[in-house]
Amino acid sequence: MSRALRIAVAGNPNVGKTSLFNLLTGSRYKVGNYPGITVETREGSIRPTKAWQPRADTPAPTLVDLPGTYSLTPISEDEAIAFRALTGAVDQVAPDAVLLVLDASNLARNLYLALQVFELGLPCVVALNMVDLAADAGVAVEAKQLEAALGVPVVATVARGGVGLDALIKQLAQADQVEPAKPRLLEPAAGHDALRSCLASLEVEGVSPARARWLLAATAAENLDLCGASVDERERAASLDPRELEQAIRSLVELRYAEVDRLLAQLPSDAGVGQHNAKRDGALAPAMARSAKIDAVLTHRVLGPLSFLLVMALIFQSIFSWADPLMGVIEAGIAALSDVIAGALGPGMFTDLLTEGVLAGVGNVVVFVPQIALLFLFIGLLEDSGYMARAAFIVDRLMARVGLNGKAFVPLLSGYACAIPAIMSTRTIASFKDRVVTILMIPFMSCSARLPIYTLVIGSLFVANAPVFGPFTQGGLILLSMYLLSTVSALGLGAIYKRTLLPGPTPPLVLELPPYRLPRIRDTLRQVWDRTADFLRDAGTIILAVTIVLWGLLSFPRVDPAELGPGETAIERSVAGRVGKAMEPALEPIGQDWRIGIGLIGSFAAREVLVSTLGLVYGIENADEDDAPLREVIRDAKDEAGAPRYTRLSGIALLVFFVYACQCMSTLAVVRRETRSWKWPAFMLVSMTVIAYLAALLVFQVGGALGLG
Amino acid sequence: MAFQDDSAMTLDRLDLGQRAEVRAVTGHGSMSVRLLEMGFVPGVQVALIKRAPLGDPLELRLRGYHVSLRRAEAKRVQISGVTK
Repeated sequence: MSRALRIAVAGNPNVGKTSLFNLLTGSRYKVGNYPGITVETREGSIRPTKAWQPRADTPAPTLVDLPGTYSLTPISEDEAIAFRALTGAVDQVAPDAVLLVLDASNLARNLYLALQVFELGLPCVVALNMVDLAADAGVAVEAKQLEAALGVPVVATVARGGVGLDALIKQLAQADQVEPAKPRLLEPAAGHDALRSCLASLEVEGVSPARARWLLAATAAENLDLCGASVDERERAASLDPRELEQAIRSLVELRYAEVDRLLAQLPSDAGVGQHNAKRDGALAPAMARSAKIDAVLTHRVLGPLSFLLVMALIFQSIFSWADPLMGVIEAGIAALSDVIAGALGPGMFTDLLTEGVLAGVGNVVVFVPQIALLFLFIGLLEDSGYMARAAFIVDRLMARVGLNGKAFVPLLSGYACAIPAIMSTRTIASFKDRVVTILMIPFMSCSARLPIYTLVIGSLFVANAPVFGPFTQGGLILLSMYLLSTVSALGLGAIYKRTLLPGPTPPLVLELPPYRLPRIRDTLRQVWDRTADFLRDAGTIILAVTIVLWGLLSFPRVDPAELGPGETAIERSVAGRVGKAMEPALEPIGQDWRIGIGLIGSFAAREVLVSTLGLVYGIENADEDDAPLREVIRDAKDEAGAPRYTRLSGIALLVFFVYACQCMSTLAVVRRETRSWKWPAFMLVSMTVIAYLAALLVFQVGGALGLG
Repeated sequence: MAFQDDSAMTLDRLDLGQRAEVRAVTGHGSMSVRLLEMGFVPGVQVALIKRAPLGDPLELRLRGYHVSLRRAEAKRVQISGVTK
């Protein structure tokens, strides 16, 4: 039995590549990751259809879906993945054939990548996708005519409607026999002396002409390291005359675009003319006619930002509150299951391990699913519809001041709801360094798990409803200050990280504003599922393990209740209790005591666990259901000398501590998943804890010196 | 009245709705290569469609599609033959 053909699926972004891939494979695929980064490629076999079955002696071809790219000169990691897979550079084998997906309504730009792929000399099949939209825009191109112009098989498809699939599969099944597979190179013409001379320097023994061409482009783009050039090649590249190189890359690109125009001109006038005129007349973009009308509102000077805020508010609100009932159901389900198990097994250590360790751990993982699913549903819809590019267009100016581009905005905003899905959504950011900067900023955004702590502290030590001025009350203003502090700190620290720890130029913005399209809901849901499964598998296991460890720390060694002194609770004798007490000298300068110390250990599972852990310390059952009794106890608590144990100043110090502290193991688990290393979660934990401690210290000490204590 | 030096006319100085022809992309490095590969080659017509609400970036139209560039990047594109 022969080997399955490996066919790389390549194309510009927004050409419907993923829809086509999902249809061809029946959405049965493996997600592959590259070590060190989280750019994904997906791999799956072509699914047999009624019209096509693989022959008995040949397995169905394997498709590899590559990230969308505009050219084979990578400037970001996702483009580098597409580049490496197509060229076979960097310890990979070139594919047996390429499925090139072209947007039928925009050949004037799409054909540029096509020409670069043809240079590689691989067998190639073209899917001329979205022919329906091209027809609507009046720029329909016949597949046969394009096939005649390009000299490779062209199949007209509408991925949304499944049109042309059978014909495409037939072509793909015999893709290795497609002729011609010879590299089709454009030769330097008159006036291209610099190009000729640079190519001659690079094109030595063992370097193919196609390789010399992409080496030249990568040298000019100063991105040779993304391409895996050999030491010899780097030396030859470095020896090129810089001025000649600049001239050579211009000639090379101009040569390819001249060829694109020549190919378009070959198409019959009524078909190709609309496409071709796009070059001549900057006022024409037939496929954008409808979208331009929508943009008259969505990127309007005033209405644009308003609708942007509305969209963001809707997403924010949905994660903040629509997920809440679902999370309640999950929590109630876990609690009910705990009761059933506790009832069946009777009290005992094993029961506690099962209910408070394992089940609580599963609950800690599953409880994030509604938020993750909702965020990725919205992000998927925004991306596939084309709105995400407009959102980046609107906020780019703001993000550029931090040193990032508009794509970092949505992940940051999502951080107000929950850092977990927000960190997972940074994958759209092209540069790894910029992604890490954004990931480091997100946990500073005040997430919804901090709210129970804010309300407990405010409710205990302040009069939440006391009017300050106008409609504003103490509670509201303190809450507002915490959100402001978190936002300003996230942006400020991001700007600092970007300039020190992860320096790099502000990422350029070359952002296509694609035509608006109705998203294909099945593709979006499939992506939601991929992301959720990813979280459950990779981050979930870490969260479960840490929950069990924390349960152990808070429960062992076990004490006989009869041994406890008056007012003493079992948790004080546990490992966590002892550590909390040992921490007290460090906690005093920030206005806290060992009880809060135990709470800090417990709340590492999740911030809101502080409430229930403090409940255990003070011997109050179900403090997280109703924290009123706990509030009273905290308010009335006195130290040995009879003075209040917690002052307003110590309350503010605790609030500030929680604004900054990384009291969330799930965040760390996800950062580890997304950066593929323990380095960044370790840095995050240490730096956030240090910042939190110093900020709380500053508040408590300066406040105390000013007599506010 | 200031003398307008047409040779120094760059894409970031277009008015809304104006069109021009690309003459050259200046500078070197990945941004210059990317601009070329996105179609900013000599002879191509480009139009300024819109400025983002905060004044930057710009929305441009060329080769039948719309692309957004910051003013700093548009400055690298030299143009001539500005028409309404």
